Amino acid sequence: MRIITHTCPDCGTVVAANELESNRVMKCPGLGCQAVLRFDDLPEDARDHFLDNRERYQI
Amino acid sequence: MKGVLLSGGTGSRLRPITHTGPKQLVPVANKPVLEYAVEDFKAAGITEIGVILGHKGRDEIQDLLGDGSKYGVDITYIVQGNPLGLAHAAGCARDFVGDDDFVMYLGDNILKSGITDLVESFEAGDYGAGIALQRVDDPQAFGIADVDENGNVTELIEKPDDPPTNLALIGMYVFSPAVFDAIDNLEPSWRGELEITDAIQSLLEDGYEIDSHVVTGWWKDTGKPEDILEANRLVLEETNLTTDGTVAEDATTDGRVGLAESATIEDGAVVRGPVSIAENTTVKSGTYVGPYSSIGANVTLSNIHIENSVVIGDSEITASGRIVDSLIGRSANVESTDGLLPEGRRLVVGENSQLKL
Ligand SMILES: [Zn+2]
Repeated sequence: MRIITHTCPDCGTVVAANELESNRVMKCPGLGCQAVLRFDDLPEDARDHFLDNRERYQI
Repeated sequence: MKGVLLSGGTGSRLRPITHTGPKQLVPVANKPVLEYAVEDFKAAGITEIGVILGHKGRDEIQDLLGDGSKYGVDITYIVQGNPLGLAHAAGCARDFVGDDDFVMYLGDNILKSGITDLVESFEAGDYGAGIALQRVDDPQAFGIADVDENGNVTELIEKPDDPPTNLALIGMYVFSPAVFDAIDNLEPSWRGELEITDAIQSLLEDGYEIDSHVVTGWWKDTGKPEDILEANRLVLEETNLTTDGTVAEDATTDGRVGLAESATIEDGAVVRGPVSIAENTTVKSGTYVGPYSSIGANVTLSNIHIENSVVIGDSEITASGRIVDSLIGRSANVESTDGLLPEGRRLVVGENSQLKL
């Protein structure tokens, strides 16, 4: 199963796609980091893969 | 070598304690379980640690560990969100780990001997992974490894009816980055999770050698209240305890008593170690604190007889009775009914509490 994550460009905090998708837009959870992370920051193929297989990323 | 520390999970077996915080922060000998893992990484020379966060208790874990500098390590947070299995957690760490090897450590586990031997054993060969094993009496209840004469793993079997060995997997692993491709090719198990044992099995099938390291000292998964008490006992047994606080002239102490600088044992109290008593806690007259007890910060003990118990902190325990083998959550009070009518116990008890009266 493909695991999709996004790494904050400012602080290196990693966020899994399920978390990004459920928030769509979120403040980076890294300590003291002001970056804004978006599901749309993921490459298009990763987004499509996630959305096509969404139920596998839920539990 | 990097470290990946798992700090997710719901902690359902530790309710009600985990209604208000993550299980990895429950204290053992007055130190959150998670800190033992961070210290083990440091002792093994691993200072770049990725901490995997689930849904629960993220803020508390980040508040405790911060950027890791207070432990002399560098922490990166990895938000896994949905608990899709240990292999999913490991897979989420791929960008963080890069081309390095890494140790994966379950944050609610405590290991007497640390992870240095596991790491050295892995580094002595050319392995795809290394797993920590411990001999158990009931191998049917565990994931079991079969190993050859060189200690290389030949097979992993989940809860076998006819176990080939009594060597159980204990939830400490070392991986080469080859594991990430193995994880990518996994399918979720019947419970919808990506299983780490499936990833190791796939490495085996791809021809990688898998190292094993048999852990001889104690190992404790602190998932349940009785496990916390047992871990507390094991740690107090061997940890260095110093009496820095105030012991009044007519107080009695014997054995090893860890007393924080701002803590006090007053006249007429008896404390028998090994015991750990944290900051701003007062043990008043008429109180007995017996062996294998850890009393957290900002607690007042009065008249009570308590032993083999963990009091997390911010409590008033002033009933005159005996408390044994107990785990008392933060800000829980146990007071006397003396002078109250009608006679009887008065309880305000939260969901999933367990009382034996
Ligand atoms: Zn950030």
